[in-house]
Amino acid sequence: MTEKEQIADEKKGKTTKPMGQWGIAWKRFKQNRVALVGLFVEGAILFIAIFAPFIAPYPPNDISAFMAGRTREPPSWDHLMGTDYTGHDVFSQVIYGAATAIKVGFGATLVSMTIAILVGSVAGYYGGKVDTILMRFSEIFLVMPTFLFLIVFLKVFLTIRVAGFGIGIVIIVLGIIGWAGDARAIRAEFIKLKEFEFVTAARCLGASSRRIIFKHLLPNVLHLVIVLTTAGIATNIIIEAGLSFLGFSDPNIITWGRMIAYSMEVIRGAWWQSAFPGIAIIITVLGFNLLGDGLRDALDPRLRE
Amino acid sequence: MSETILNIENLKTHFDTWAGVVTAVDGVSFDVKKGETLGLVGESGSGKTVTALSVLGIVPRPGKIMDGKIIYKGKDLISMSEKEMQKIRGAEIALIFQDPSTSLNPVFSIKSQLGDVIGRHQKISKEDAMENVENLLDLVGIPDAKLRMNEYPHQFSGGMKQRVAIARALSCKPALLFADEPTTNLDVTIQAQILDLMRDLKSKFDMSVVLITHNMGIIAEMADRVTVLYAGRVCETSDMHDLFFHATHPYTVALINAIPRLGKVKHELQVIPGNIPNLIEPPSGCRFHPRCKYATSICKKDVPELEEVEKGHVTACLRWKEIEADLKKERERIV
Repeated sequence: MTEKEQIADEKKGKTTKPMGQWGIAWKRFKQNRVALVGLFVEGAILFIAIFAPFIAPYPPNDISAFMAGRTREPPSWDHLMGTDYTGHDVFSQVIYGAATAIKVGFGATLVSMTIAILVGSVAGYYGGKVDTILMRFSEIFLVMPTFLFLIVFLKVFLTIRVAGFGIGIVIIVLGIIGWAGDARAIRAEFIKLKEFEFVTAARCLGASSRRIIFKHLLPNVLHLVIVLTTAGIATNIIIEAGLSFLGFSDPNIITWGRMIAYSMEVIRGAWWQSAFPGIAIIITVLGFNLLGDGLRDALDPRLRE
Repeated sequence: MSETILNIENLKTHFDTWAGVVTAVDGVSFDVKKGETLGLVGESGSGKTVTALSVLGIVPRPGKIMDGKIIYKGKDLISMSEKEMQKIRGAEIALIFQDPSTSLNPVFSIKSQLGDVIGRHQKISKEDAMENVENLLDLVGIPDAKLRMNEYPHQFSGGMKQRVAIARALSCKPALLFADEPTTNLDVTIQAQILDLMRDLKSKFDMSVVLITHNMGIIAEMADRVTVLYAGRVCETSDMHDLFFHATHPYTVALINAIPRLGKVKHELQVIPGNIPNLIEPPSGCRFHPRCKYATSICKKDVPELEEVEKGHVTACLRWKEIEADLKKERERIV
């Protein structure tokens, strides 16, 4: 809206609703087509994951095709992505795999973000010894060979067969290992922000440190948290796919990684068994990256016009 | 104007840095009476702001209050716990900052920032709090308060932001307001408006104001009494009129003489030679002696105490009686 229009509106008694930073961010986000594609893709995948049992044409472990002798069939109208050697419908499996990927991606990122926010904000705000201790602690996680650690950890849980071992363990382990980098980014932002006068102003008006961190400063780093979260989800989905490809996952749960692993030997004869879960992984991760880039551009205050 | 609301005695706030201990405030004493405006004047680095932060108990690290008393309404603020202080801050003593562009949180609407403070210190319903916010914004002269309180700080101009900051500081009707150079970052016409507003609100709210500034013009316009600080110590405290016409401290006289004047042809701008000293190794004796043209050997040795010139007028100069005539001559040459 141009200034003239605005003035004209005001004369007519129309009032323009003031736009907050989220309004501005959404306006900028809308103009970014690539980001909108990312949002659409992720929206669709989230929908598929939540309503998997209703969308998938066959139940997760249905082997009716096996009974009918239709194993390892190429894609057809009955089986949109073909069937594997035990007669599972690949299309249904990819859909159930989406649910796993989303659960692990969101769950693990929720865990790691919670730790990252707590550690990063406290270290950045208080500084000094608290900062030193927390940052040395985070460095332990940064220098650790993540993937190796994950494999060892999951191997132990798989061997001792912890009751109820499922993706819960994968989520928690992934979350506990992946927070350090994000915590440092949040810490850096807090160090910058705590010098602003509005922090002193809040203290002058009787706010406690806890209140300043969570009520006054955290909303100021929310843009960073959102961007880190989208990136984190993509990373966690890839790691989970890698782990289950190597066999470190609950065998009762369908994952894209294990679907690819199981069909490696027959990749020349039955390409559809590994190609479709592979494409699913690519689309999901790419979607999150596009979404993350779009959000970063929309939320970065330095790029604001 | 009789009751003393704040009494600071021998306040020492030091910063223990890697380079050494910075004696930012080193034995400051003054008091604030109910309903008055006390001007706190001095160069940059003379300890004005640190004094204010000490009173509110929010001296940034590595600063620490080493000694002294801060008595507010009969209670010693230094010995108070953090919890008790949180109840005082904002509700009893408030602070306005120099830079309105950073003193408001950019991600919250004006409404929620002001409502937050009111909600914390007063037990009232959300609707009442919002009504209070609207009235406050009205009071500080924001047009269309009802509409504009939904807006965010970046939608306000500098002068408007300072008005909002003032409204926030006043939201719980504090008895004592520290204004830390509230007009330094504003242009001159807005300065005048803000000062008018502050004077107006002071009488409306019946509060005491400590006005921190380096601008003698603002002091002349606003203050009832003035305390001059130099290098973390008090030079002189007196009522405003006395300060301008009967200053007894060479530093005060130098400060007044440094005010640029209109209408004086071929009058050179007066400056105080030298810089404010390094407070890690402050000069011995009187801290002003290296820059003082009246300094003698005794000034290097002895630390001046505050001496009473007349009732309500104290000065911290060892030789004030001897140089009184010289200072008078100097004042007359200029004025």
